[in-house]
Amino acid sequence: MKLKLFFVTFITLLCAAQVHAAKIRVVATLTDLADITRNVGGENVEVFSLATGIEDTHGVPMKPSFVPKMNQADLLVLVGFGCEHAFLPALLEASKNPRIQYGKAGYVDCSAGIAPLEVPKSTDHSEGDVHPYGNPHYMLDPVLAKTAVQNIYNALVAIAPEHEADFTRNRDAYLAKLDAKIAEWQEALKPLKGAKFVSYHEHWPYFAKRFGLEYFGTIELKPGVDPTPHHITELVATMKAEHVPIVVREPQFPEKVPTLIAKQAGATLIKLPIMPGGVPNTDTYIEMMDYIVHTLAGTVSK
Amino acid sequence: MRLKKCILILSVSLCASGLRAQETNEVVQLKEQMQQMQKGFEKREQDMETRFEKKIAAQDAVIESLKEKLAFMPTNPPPPSVAIVPPAETVTPEKLKELNEKVDSVVEAQKKTLMSEFNPAIGLVGETVFGYRSKGSDQTGSDRPGGFDIWQRSVELNVAASVDPFAKGWVVANASADSATGEASFGIEEAALQTTSLPGNVSLTAGRFFGEFGRLSNIHDHELPFVNRPLALDQFIGGESRTDGLQLNWLPPIDHYVSLTLGVGDQLGGDSPKNNPGTYRAFNELNVWGRVSTYFDLTPNWQLEAGVSGLLNPQTQDRGGVLVQPNGSTQTERARRLAGVDMKVSYVPLANNQFRSFTWGTEVLFSDNRYLFDPNGSLNPANATPGLDGDEFTGNVGSLGLYSYVNYKWSRQWSAGFLFDWVQNAQNHSDETFAYSPFITFALSHWNQLRLQYTRTEPSSISGMKPDDAIYLQWAWIIGAHSHGWQQR
Repeated sequence: MKLKLFFVTFITLLCAAQVHAAKIRVVATLTDLADITRNVGGENVEVFSLATGIEDTHGVPMKPSFVPKMNQADLLVLVGFGCEHAFLPALLEASKNPRIQYGKAGYVDCSAGIAPLEVPKSTDHSEGDVHPYGNPHYMLDPVLAKTAVQNIYNALVAIAPEHEADFTRNRDAYLAKLDAKIAEWQEALKPLKGAKFVSYHEHWPYFAKRFGLEYFGTIELKPGVDPTPHHITELVATMKAEHVPIVVREPQFPEKVPTLIAKQAGATLIKLPIMPGGVPNTDTYIEMMDYIVHTLAGTVSK
Repeated sequence: MRLKKCILILSVSLCASGLRAQETNEVVQLKEQMQQMQKGFEKREQDMETRFEKKIAAQDAVIESLKEKLAFMPTNPPPPSVAIVPPAETVTPEKLKELNEKVDSVVEAQKKTLMSEFNPAIGLVGETVFGYRSKGSDQTGSDRPGGFDIWQRSVELNVAASVDPFAKGWVVANASADSATGEASFGIEEAALQTTSLPGNVSLTAGRFFGEFGRLSNIHDHELPFVNRPLALDQFIGGESRTDGLQLNWLPPIDHYVSLTLGVGDQLGGDSPKNNPGTYRAFNELNVWGRVSTYFDLTPNWQLEAGVSGLLNPQTQDRGGVLVQPNGSTQTERARRLAGVDMKVSYVPLANNQFRSFTWGTEVLFSDNRYLFDPNGSLNPANATPGLDGDEFTGNVGSLGLYSYVNYKWSRQWSAGFLFDWVQNAQNHSDETFAYSPFITFALSHWNQLRLQYTRTEPSSISGMKPDDAIYLQWAWIIGAHSHGWQQR
């Protein structure tokens, strides 16, 4: 009897392991891509995100505990355009996983097919920590996020064609939801058409372009370089002269300088996440975009 | 007479008015001609402008249509029988403008990538140390002079790229100014190849590289969190863990991070002399080292890394030559044995780790070298006829050393910390040295950094050296490509 019980338990565990093993193991660098992968992959994927949402997209800590996850991954989903240059190359080296290295099928660069904005004229550090391929923060434009959805879908279908029907159904459902939301967001931001705003880091050019806002400048002197007192004074003066009503602080940056600038320029300071989880109740990409749009729209009534 | 005068005046007036009228007519005619000419010019100018605008518009239309075709063109052209279906939606000027911007940015991005095709990543690191030491080198044992000292410690050229689908390669060439002559000696610090696609979670590194031993011996000077390499690493390893060798690293396929390394080389330590550089070297005269390291997430923001390292050179013939002690006796190394335990506790807040962090790192080293002792110094090469005279014997010297440091970062630019050093001489554990070094770092940017450090060094009296106070200002900068590898994290 005991032997029978042992066998039953053993076989159950084995089956459970098989079911577990059958899932596609995906490591996503940021939480927006992790959320989209979960939506498209459904039950067939097991997704781990390197970021939790509150990190700087360029400064996710290189934790050795990420290495086993990446070692066992079938797919690595990343933003691209050099967004993860500060932490991903070393993690990839340590992962010793040939399936997800650059150029391999498991290396899913979601920027494929996206035309970059702000491609620098020269890749020189006098311009700060420039991204040679252009600004990588395209995920803040929900229309461009649809390209990322398609790229993730393509990679999933390539690795598990037997689940193509599931992936197609999931993708279509997600895109339909996203399209409906995009229309809603565009409507909500209509009153802000042409409104100027500044942010700490250059996260918002794609967003501004999509929703018709005017991206006025950044608090950072250059990408990755803290503002100097002269830069702050100059920024405040031009903000006053140009009547810039909004200062955006991304959660991973200190509050002191944006608060000071907003106060001196007579602008409204708002905190906006740059990926899901950046502020409470923004666990999914759609929830995050909802939060961004409604917080911005709320500045009109102030 | 009056009548005659009147007629005369009248006739003169008539003639004058006739002449004026004739002149007026000519001016009017001239004016008319000029106006006609002006009109003609204006008309011609207008015609030309219209024609030019039409031409430009036509050329623009051709360019736009070509761009449009290009945008919708598949990678492989379709067979001739397949007709290209024009896009159904109406092309508005806004859409054309957007399309133009897209094409331009893609072309711009491609220019950037194509230009560097097959070229390796190249970076240069410069490091200057401005120093003041209260004692001269004869009293500190340092290779740097006392008093004021400006030292271009390194100019380091880094070149790295994939070799092929199976390996990557890198070279680090360093020019460092000699303390005596001031001339820069150019040397190859690293020139190695590492496999990238071996099965079984294994990678192999071959060539000249920094062997994986302990926490800070395998990183370059400018990447240290303080100005100088800890005394224990200088004493037992010989500065940086440079080797000409082969190293195998294995990542066990388990859910917890563990890294295992095994290496073999003809030396370990940049300033450590090679073993038996004579005519024949047996396998047991090579250095063999190994390391096991692991990691724990204590909380999402707190991390713990720990490792154990070991180094064995079973037989050394004349590594470093005959070492003459202050009392005149000599020691000649016969075997090199070194063990180390290291750990690092870090606070790296997920939300703003660029602006705030804390690190506590410690490494303890135990050296247990075997020596040939010669109490009366008959082996001293300075003697007229150096040689064995029967009083020699072999024995081990167990010496300990450690360093421990903390570093706190409170903004993107500022951090400060303290380094404690303690080391026993590898040949004589009674000879101890302590050092205390507070330091403060100002990083103007990621590529431009200044560090001010004070160091109080206290050697024991048997060493014959004197306590020393030193102040250093280190200025390190980077140009070109610079990425942090896994070891430098």
